[in-house]
Amino acid sequence: MLSIKNLEAGYGKVKVLHGINIDVPKGQVITLIGSNGAGKTTTMRAITGMIKPTAGEVTLGGEKIDGYDSHKIARLGLAHSPEGRRVFTTMSVTDNLLLGAFPRFTGSRPKGDIKNDLEKSLEMFPRLKERRNQLAGTLSGGEQQMLAMARAVMLNPEIILLDEPSMGLAPILVEEVFKIISNLKSQGVTMLLVEQFAAAALNVADYGYVLENGKIATHGPASKLKDDPAVKAAYLGGAGGH
Amino acid sequence: MLAQILSSGIAVGMIYAVIAFGFQLTFATSGTLNFGQGEALMLGALVGLTCVDTFGMNYWVMIPVVCLFGMIQGSFVELIGVRPAIKIKSEFGWIMSTIALGIIFKNVAENIWGRDALPFPSPLPMEPMSFLGANILPMEILVVVGALVMMLLVEFFNRKTIYGKAVVATANDRDAAGLMGINTSMVITFSYALSSLTAAFAGVLIAPLTLTGATMGGALGLKAFAVAIIGGLSSGMGIIVGGLILGIVETATGFYFSTGYKDVPGLILLLLVLAYKPSGLFGKSAIKKV
Amino acid sequence: MKLKSLLPILIAIAALFTLPLFIHNPYYIHLVETILIYTILLYGLDIVVGYVGQVSLGHAALFGIGSYTAGVLYFHFGWTIWGTLPASIIVTSIFGGILALPALKVIGPYLAMVTLAFGTIAQILINEMTWMTEGPLGIKIPKPDLMGVPMTKAEYFWMVGIILILSMIVVDRFVKSQVGRAFEALRDSPIACDCMGVSVYRFKVIAFVISAAFAGLAGCLYAYSEQYISPNTYNNELAVLFLLGIIMGGRKSRLGALIGAAIIVLLPKLLDDINLFRIVASIIAIVVVIGAAMALSKKVTTPRRVAVPIAGVVGLAAFSFWLNTISDWRLSIFGFMILLVVYYLQNGIVGFAKSFYQSIAGKAKTTRGGDHEEVDDSISFISTVANKNTGAELLKVDSLLMQFGGLKALNNVDLSVKRGTIHGLIGPNGSGKSTMMNVLTGIYIPTAGSVLYAGESVVGKTSSDIALSGIARTFQNVQLFGEMTAIQNILVGLHHTFKSNMVEIALNLPRYKREEAEAHARALALLKFVGLDDLANEEARNLPYGKQRLLEIARALALDPELLLLDEPAAGLTAPDIKELLRIIRKIRDSGITFILIEHHMDVVMSVCDTVSVLDFGQKIAEGKPAEVQADEKVIHAYLGT
Repeated sequence: MLSIKNLEAGYGKVKVLHGINIDVPKGQVITLIGSNGAGKTTTMRAITGMIKPTAGEVTLGGEKIDGYDSHKIARLGLAHSPEGRRVFTTMSVTDNLLLGAFPRFTGSRPKGDIKNDLEKSLEMFPRLKERRNQLAGTLSGGEQQMLAMARAVMLNPEIILLDEPSMGLAPILVEEVFKIISNLKSQGVTMLLVEQFAAAALNVADYGYVLENGKIATHGPASKLKDDPAVKAAYLGGAGGH
Repeated sequence: MLAQILSSGIAVGMIYAVIAFGFQLTFATSGTLNFGQGEALMLGALVGLTCVDTFGMNYWVMIPVVCLFGMIQGSFVELIGVRPAIKIKSEFGWIMSTIALGIIFKNVAENIWGRDALPFPSPLPMEPMSFLGANILPMEILVVVGALVMMLLVEFFNRKTIYGKAVVATANDRDAAGLMGINTSMVITFSYALSSLTAAFAGVLIAPLTLTGATMGGALGLKAFAVAIIGGLSSGMGIIVGGLILGIVETATGFYFSTGYKDVPGLILLLLVLAYKPSGLFGKSAIKKV
Repeated sequence: MKLKSLLPILIAIAALFTLPLFIHNPYYIHLVETILIYTILLYGLDIVVGYVGQVSLGHAALFGIGSYTAGVLYFHFGWTIWGTLPASIIVTSIFGGILALPALKVIGPYLAMVTLAFGTIAQILINEMTWMTEGPLGIKIPKPDLMGVPMTKAEYFWMVGIILILSMIVVDRFVKSQVGRAFEALRDSPIACDCMGVSVYRFKVIAFVISAAFAGLAGCLYAYSEQYISPNTYNNELAVLFLLGIIMGGRKSRLGALIGAAIIVLLPKLLDDINLFRIVASIIAIVVVIGAAMALSKKVTTPRRVAVPIAGVVGLAAFSFWLNTISDWRLSIFGFMILLVVYYLQNGIVGFAKSFYQSIAGKAKTTRGGDHEEVDDSISFISTVANKNTGAELLKVDSLLMQFGGLKALNNVDLSVKRGTIHGLIGPNGSGKSTMMNVLTGIYIPTAGSVLYAGESVVGKTSSDIALSGIARTFQNVQLFGEMTAIQNILVGLHHTFKSNMVEIALNLPRYKREEAEAHARALALLKFVGLDDLANEEARNLPYGKQRLLEIARALALDPELLLLDEPAAGLTAPDIKELLRIIRKIRDSGITFILIEHHMDVVMSVCDTVSVLDFGQKIAEGKPAEVQADEKVIHAYLGT
């Protein structure tokens, strides 16, 4: 579905990614884990066109999308729940969700039944249903995260990118978030999950990549990575450091 | 007396509010302003005058024509003056180029329509009506109604249509809007088109009340900016309140002092607001992110 | 040192001096005189536009205030030029200060609007206050007397010329001094400027006041030159024209101001004569086409990039042949020129000529001025605080609460930092680390709680006062003064060592010379300490990322701090760079300076910190020696999850 080859990217002079390879097969949940500053969010941004890669290629469903503008990539069916949620704070929950389906309104994506999907979304996220007319800016961090994910689902996407959904959330909310990710997984949604909380991510994913200093340090089936001491080391330095 | 000041002030104030509305539109979506906004109004008024005088159009038919002209003019300003500056991330760039475009438009207007102020035929009777001791021209009522209708229409568009929501989303968070599949640079072009549309519309509203000429834009633009600042660039309601305050204070000054000083209080108010609460009376202060 | 760089322009002015000897036509003398006067004004405008980097539409009004101060004092009180000249300077300076007040908190378009509003109000007031200014009637002023007899045109011309040269020298000295550096720092990063002890508010006012002083001087000279002043001269059109002049001539350049002034004076004259304009437009078109051809042949540029300028100048020439009179289109030409300059001539004619020459001659020059200088190793560049009692508490944060709306970024946090230690601050993204930094340096005012530094409360103090009291910092997103060189960045950090005032700078008195030399030597030593001495004259924005971070540290050291806050110093650094960073940190610590270090690189934290505090969700969840913290269950959970 989504394929990343030798991707290099950065900000101005600072090169963050030094050539990474990730493969997201259809119907699977792939996770990208690593400590802060490793380059996880940079990877997401490079995929979704928020920054332009300096080298390498990104392919979505066979089409090369590296260098495309964000809106073009979204119209091809890639939904992104960005780091920090980035919900539209001055608009209602419902409006946020409707905007998630924007390409469906304008004809860039198959229209389907938007109203129906809206209701279905709200069923899947009961907290949002209670607050459907509330301004997104007044929601709590956890609720905003739900909204960002529901908004991504509204695109009827080919693949969803989730960037640090657990960031800044209390443990109990983190549990809820991952329950929803499991739910989506069981519905066959393809996902690329970037997470700081390695343990939770590896629990829900099929396959994982560990990012360290802009390079893939190790990768493998999630169940195997869970028990890998190198993963723990990547997070808390210690033995073997630099 | 007070009623007269109030009624004249309200009419003037609503014009300022409508122009200021245009400032808000572009600032919200792109963080830029058109320093030549006053000239957009002026061109609208003059084009409207030509439609009505030379082509014999009916005033009401002329309005959509002028609105269309405004959209084209606004898109032009964005394309030539703003887009290149945003690309090279130069604030200096769009400030100077919108100023430059304003100067060019004014000069072109002078050459096409001459330097004299021209009368604009009023679609409504010019006899004032008497209400609570004030003489109110029917045209003034049209100005207030027209301004409110225009702003309501835009609000309606923003709230009820998906395209309007896309514009609000872009204003709220440009990157996230892109992620939704919204073409944000087109949204910016559109917001400039809309901004000039409202200015042009304001131009044909106010033209019958004053004289129309190439110089009518300058002072209006500056005062509309004052209103936008006083009200707060992020608050729609604030603009209407700001406009009314300015309109009334100005009319009162013109009445009690001399008309030469009329423009001064608004400008002083602008300076005071910028000195103490730059985000405006109704705006929210931004939190510094370091 | 200073006069050498001014040589080209001094020659130009000297040439101008001889003008009245050859040309006796008063019209031309007057024309050149106006150019000289406008140049003085543009020096002033350049301070705001070139050095502080803002758009000012208010300088026509300041110019007018200068003229009218002279006019009014002459008309009502019969003062002579020896009185009106200083009076114009002083009065206009005061108005410059008044203009600065609403401009303090704003930048960019808001500041431009402030100046526009100011300019409009000033013109209205001059026009309306007829009891003082005679309003639209204007005021007639005769040439000043020299030894009892009115000056001849030539004598006045020479007087203006001399004043221009003096102005130029004074401006040159200001902008090359710590004051000029403060202005540029203000432009490049107001936040870093405040945190380096240079108060943004204060220097904004100073910039406007100095700028206004020159405008007032020019205005006074103009009044005597024209011998008649009226309000409608000093309108917004003139203000825009001044802006066009400084941008087109070249910002931050004495020669640029002269060229710009010449353009804006000669251009309207040119436009009045259609034949002359046609000739000039054609010549320019030919020159541009040839220049573009040369550049294309040397592959310095692409066809796409030269397409628009060529179309523009050729179109202009063609347009001039089509019209019968061009003076009606004067303003459009100005507007068009502004557009051209803003997009294609950002560094003005002077800047363009420099880079054009360099690209044709094949030289790439990114360094500015100065050869490689030897570092005086005997200088102790880090003021040692070793004699203060190590281990005593330097910073005490108590129950700190920082709330933004509903979000508690810092929730009841205590922190105690001991002198001479390196105290680490770690935690997941969004845990409040940078917020803590910002509270400590006065960027945020805490919602509740206390912060005591060396026994005194920091809360409510300005960032620049906090910096001057001994707390220096670096930033998570590098906040260098990009357009300034590495050594200039350090010199801004050393601003606090300068006690000399404006007069001493203007006259290049010994104390100022000494301070400048000492600061320069110390800055070089600091650069050498972080290994950047051979990049001293490189613009900060061109430095590699790792070196930029080191430069920020060196700049912070220049403040002679007791407490140094480093915000993710290792972010984006490669392994060898990190080694170097650790070496530098340890060396600084050895002189007794205390550190608070925010980091994500665990290895950095482990190897260099004495104590580590861990934040999560704005609360402190663990504290202790690095190894203890690393093994702490709560910390592992916060980072890794269950």
